Amino acid sequence: MDRDDATGPVVQIRRRLRARAEQIFDLWTKPDLMVRWMSPFPGAVVCQASCDPRPGGAFSLVMSSAESSRVVSGAYVHVDRPRKLVFTWIGPLTNNVNTLVTVELNPRGDETDLVLTHERLPTSAIHEGHAKGWGHILDHLADAVAKDV
Amino acid sequence: MIEVEARKEAASRAARLDAVFAALADPTRRAIIERLSRSEARVTDVAEPFAMSLNAVSKHIRVLEASGVVERRRKGRDHILSINTRSLNEVDGWIERMRRYWGARLDAMERVLLELEKDHKSGPKDRKHGSR
Repeated sequence: MDRDDATGPVVQIRRRLRARAEQIFDLWTKPDLMVRWMSPFPGAVVCQASCDPRPGGAFSLVMSSAESSRVVSGAYVHVDRPRKLVFTWIGPLTNNVNTLVTVELNPRGDETDLVLTHERLPTSAIHEGHAKGWGHILDHLADAVAKDV
Repeated sequence: MIEVEARKEAASRAARLDAVFAALADPTRRAIIERLSRSEARVTDVAEPFAMSLNAVSKHIRVLEASGVVERRRKGRDHILSINTRSLNEVDGWIERMRRYWGARLDAMERVLLELEKDHKSGPKDRKHGSR
């Protein structure tokens, strides 16, 4: 666990991929591509995705197998194809609390470095969001994102 | 009824975890945890290295206690602080679960990239085949 950053514990994963950044970015934002890899259920799964990839736009992913189904959803905070995608993420795995996912894509010749960061939202941002409405939490997050660019 | 209990348990676990994450989202509080992870210590010793009043540090300590990350006991006139490792293990558990989840998803994403590349290479032939 990394406790040196400014926002507390985060999950961060890096991958080098043999693909162009545009192609990888589309896997995250095009429903027909999202359904091909985002479901954690093995075998036959019905997966439906919808998304509106612009700041403030929502996405949802409904996945069901014979035994169970789950829904994950969120809202886009920052959409900069093909370099950076930031969205909120809420679902059973996050105990149905809001979290923030940042996907950064850095071209390296024919390959692309993907850095995925998943963090819980700062509690202050969540409180502000509840108090003032969803638009403000996105502003707050967009500010936070702009600061580290 | 068992299901209701299980849901309540899950909800309180989530609330506890949120409190721990909120407690950790501050550099002073993380420094206090860093200090206490080496050994338990008196409140005054914990506060000493910080360029802020004892009162300000005490506020941070109270947040850590409320979240369950730090425990306090009295030994004579001293208040001794120590870490409750179980609450930090829950955070590690959450991070580990998320890491496994994204690791598996990115594996699946890489498989789709390979499929797309294959489709792209054999694309025209497949289309001809499919149209017959």
